[in-house]
Amino acid sequence: MSNSALPATLVGSKRRVRARHWRHSNLAGYLFISPWLIGYLLFALMPILASLMLSFTNYDVLGHNILRGDWDFVGLDNFEKMFYHDYRYWKSVKATLNYVVFAVPLRLMFALAVAMLLNTKRHGVYFYRAAYYTPSVVGGSVAVALMWREIFQRDGLVNNILGTEIYWFGNPDYAMWVLVTLAVWQFGSPMLVFLAGLRQIPQDMYEAASIDGANFFQRFWRITIPLLTPIIFFNLVMQTINGFQQFTQAFIVTGGRPLDRTLLYPLYVYNRGFVSFQMGYASAMAWVLLVTIAFFTLILFASSRLWVYYQGDEGKS
Amino acid sequence: MKSAKGLILTLILMVALVAPAASAISAQENIELHITWWGSQNRHDRTIAVIDMFHEQNPNIEVVYEFSSWGDYWTLLTTKASGENLPDIMQQDYAFLKEWQSRDLLAPLDPFIADGTLDVSGVSDVVLGTGKIGDELYGLPLGTNSQAILIDVQAFEKAGIELPAPDWTWADFEEISLALHEKLGIWGFGGPLSDEALWKSLYMGYGTWAFNPEGTAIGYEDDQPLVDYFDMILRLIDAEAIPSAEQWAEYADLGPEGNPLVTGQSVMGYWWSNQIVAITKAAGEGREFKLWHLPRPEGGQPQNYIKPSQFFSVTTQAKHPKEAAMFINFFVNNMEASDALGTERGVPVVAAVREHLAPALSPIDIETFDFLARVEADGSPVPPPDPAGWAEIRDNIYAPQFVDPVLYGEISPAEGAAMLREEANLILARNK
Amino acid sequence: MTTKAIPKSTGITLTRRQRRLLNAVLYHFFVGLVGIAMVYPILWMVSASFKETADIWQNISSIWPKSLHLENYSNGWKGFGGISFTTFYKNSFIYSGFGTLFQVASSAVVAYGFARIEFSGKRICFALMLSTMMLPDQVRMIPQYILFNELGWVNSFAPLLVPRLGGAAFFIFMIIQFIRGIPTELDEAAMIDGCGKAGIFFRIILPQLTPAMITAAIFSFYWTWDDFMTPLIYLNSPKMYTVSVALRAFSDRGGGGATDWGAIFAMSTLSLLPVFIIFVAFQRYLVEGISTTGLKG
Repeated sequence: MSNSALPATLVGSKRRVRARHWRHSNLAGYLFISPWLIGYLLFALMPILASLMLSFTNYDVLGHNILRGDWDFVGLDNFEKMFYHDYRYWKSVKATLNYVVFAVPLRLMFALAVAMLLNTKRHGVYFYRAAYYTPSVVGGSVAVALMWREIFQRDGLVNNILGTEIYWFGNPDYAMWVLVTLAVWQFGSPMLVFLAGLRQIPQDMYEAASIDGANFFQRFWRITIPLLTPIIFFNLVMQTINGFQQFTQAFIVTGGRPLDRTLLYPLYVYNRGFVSFQMGYASAMAWVLLVTIAFFTLILFASSRLWVYYQGDEGKS
Repeated sequence: MKSAKGLILTLILMVALVAPAASAISAQENIELHITWWGSQNRHDRTIAVIDMFHEQNPNIEVVYEFSSWGDYWTLLTTKASGENLPDIMQQDYAFLKEWQSRDLLAPLDPFIADGTLDVSGVSDVVLGTGKIGDELYGLPLGTNSQAILIDVQAFEKAGIELPAPDWTWADFEEISLALHEKLGIWGFGGPLSDEALWKSLYMGYGTWAFNPEGTAIGYEDDQPLVDYFDMILRLIDAEAIPSAEQWAEYADLGPEGNPLVTGQSVMGYWWSNQIVAITKAAGEGREFKLWHLPRPEGGQPQNYIKPSQFFSVTTQAKHPKEAAMFINFFVNNMEASDALGTERGVPVVAAVREHLAPALSPIDIETFDFLARVEADGSPVPPPDPAGWAEIRDNIYAPQFVDPVLYGEISPAEGAAMLREEANLILARNK
Repeated sequence: MTTKAIPKSTGITLTRRQRRLLNAVLYHFFVGLVGIAMVYPILWMVSASFKETADIWQNISSIWPKSLHLENYSNGWKGFGGISFTTFYKNSFIYSGFGTLFQVASSAVVAYGFARIEFSGKRICFALMLSTMMLPDQVRMIPQYILFNELGWVNSFAPLLVPRLGGAAFFIFMIIQFIRGIPTELDEAAMIDGCGKAGIFFRIILPQLTPAMITAAIFSFYWTWDDFMTPLIYLNSPKMYTVSVALRAFSDRGGGGATDWGAIFAMSTLSLLPVFIIFVAFQRYLVEGISTTGLKG
């Protein structure tokens, strides 16, 4: 979030100072963000704080009222149990890291590649764009769960395309690839964001570069990528955050099996909270996840100073 | 002081006088009765029809209903309970009855039986007993059910193998499965022999149960039967007479309709008796399935018992418990309501209702009715409802830490059985 | 992309045309082939929606129905006990329509505040906003329910719609990134012309945000349409169920009785239509993009 560099083009320094001064306004700032801030204070903050508090309690969710204090503080017990005495906890950590490491980069690369391919005015591109987006909007109903299962069956589409005979759901070494493949298959949302980002790049830049004799790859590396970095950064951050929180596919398609190889973290949180009713423990797990995601996000933000280029912040067009 | 005491007494007296009058008035007033259940479209349609009938007879009672699928239902109801928003009537399951009762969420129905609101005279003691915890009735069973081996009759004929005896043993089962596989080249049995309900039933064959009667510890001393049972499973997998864990994963989540039995890849399967309806429908015309007893240990007790398919329970957060009992009474005893409900919730619990429905039964219904009559004649006593913590044992211990590692060869059945005992005891100890 | 400058030598024209043709063929072959794999799941689902239950399960990998069973659609549409999908669609449109409108509109306003205005506490606010996305919903559900229960909002659309007036972290962050990609010269020019911050937002920034807003609207609509947990928990009567909730209420895996799978597939197929229509209708704006002339400075 570096805002130190202000427009340093043809604008005079006097105007620059005025601009900086003009840009700073607590009143206007808070006025513009007030919808979010009010919503946050009213609706988001309390549940977040409640879950933080509950993570230090033995709160049993079934039939016990939070407001009436049907719980006791247990200090760091939940965290101790999680780290040292929960056999499945580390399995879920391992599964989640496995998933994030493969699903996030593969999905982003695929999304960017397809967005580039579809960012043209060729005939039929409308159709292709719709076709490539469809797997991403099928949702999570029973019919859809059945559909995904069918596709990964032994005589299903995936084995047919790959020419393999793998039991995708039953083989502990492959089950995670079902979830990773689904994540890549449903690349629609980062793809659309990339497309919108590509659209925002002024065409005259390409024209100018073409006149200067730049070829496709030069234009790609010198114009497309730099100007797309804010969007790449956004997608990277969001896909990482969402990757750690992937729930639906694991819940409806693999159910954590076999041997807990697909027991993604939120699935285990749900299981602890709503099957074992140990909402205190589940909250503790959730907060460990929050800290982990926050850590990775911070690293991404720190690195962004090195590689993300904001036209609006630098003003060098 | 005196006057204060007098005032309090007067107030109490007034309340005592007014309260019955007030409730008499409220009976005339319009009230909202809330009810929730899980199920399929078929069940929703039938239940709503009964709700409409009930409203017609009791115009002052508006029944507000909510339904969802099994999986979503428990998340929803857990959430409602946390906000003290439970409906007056909730559909309950044998696996959760104790869990919910132990947290004071369910109200005993006995007072309503005593005052005549709820008539259970048509329900046999065995069936009624399934809803009891201690001496009190916390859920009225709506239908009955039992575990069964589903048999593809035509495939047996094709293999030239006789149908098993009704009191067959696990040794018979192993032999028949192997023979069927040899003759037909398909799985003799295509289903989850490692199912948690079979673990519990297994010990019933030895005259005990998976849990002790108080639900505070594992109910058997000897792990050997469980070890032997899993050894048998591993032998059958080796012989390819049943699907391996890897293969079964393809079918596990497909429900009855996606079972290998339906597609003709296996000759037998393991299901609850009411699921024969779904299997027959999915298999299409011209197929014949029969319900069979579970095998039992050599010289042991039957492993079958009559299980309530689901209950209606009145919650402690109910605003109109009496009207709730009235509705339940209407639901199980009224003949018109029974016509609308049919056998969708399992075999009806009231004898007169079963007789009333008899002339209109389909062949599959008749098979189900007969099977349950056979189980009632040759079955084990109904075990107590599953202890609190059962869902946790099932989802956090039994399946992921015992069955999977054993079937994938990570640990031996003996190691697994010892671990299961230890871990389950830790959870059950909380009920002490 | 059409031919702008036709070279004078005919020999070169042919080879260039051939090359272009070859490019097009390769493009359509490759993109089309992958496209088929992409739509296969949908084709399978549409096909299942015309099969009868036995056909679905007997020939599960076949994409051709043995016979067309259009009654799956009418049986499915009937819904439950007289409450049909007409009601569920109406509810879904209320939730998705207003939900999307609220969410996207206020996200844009908030994003402008974060992207173009300096104020103390901005970094903290931004971090807090991102953090709301990092806590799994599973542990927030119960406290949230209790909050809305205390407010007396349960069994109404309020818990679904009111919080959306505050925007959503995902969209706010997304639009921030787009705004920061817009050069500031125009802002400054407008400022010198005496335009206020609101004026700049509406006249300068908003028109350039079309692709971002369209993208946000497409996502928001789909995610809301697909959301089933919130409506399940807060809309406590079938008359208020959304399509996503109704779809899940069709089948009962654990229980007995036959499930009408044909009807489930029929309704699941139909439920994709609105999302798809929104996408097709809006994607035009993604293709045409925006005119950004006059920025050469």
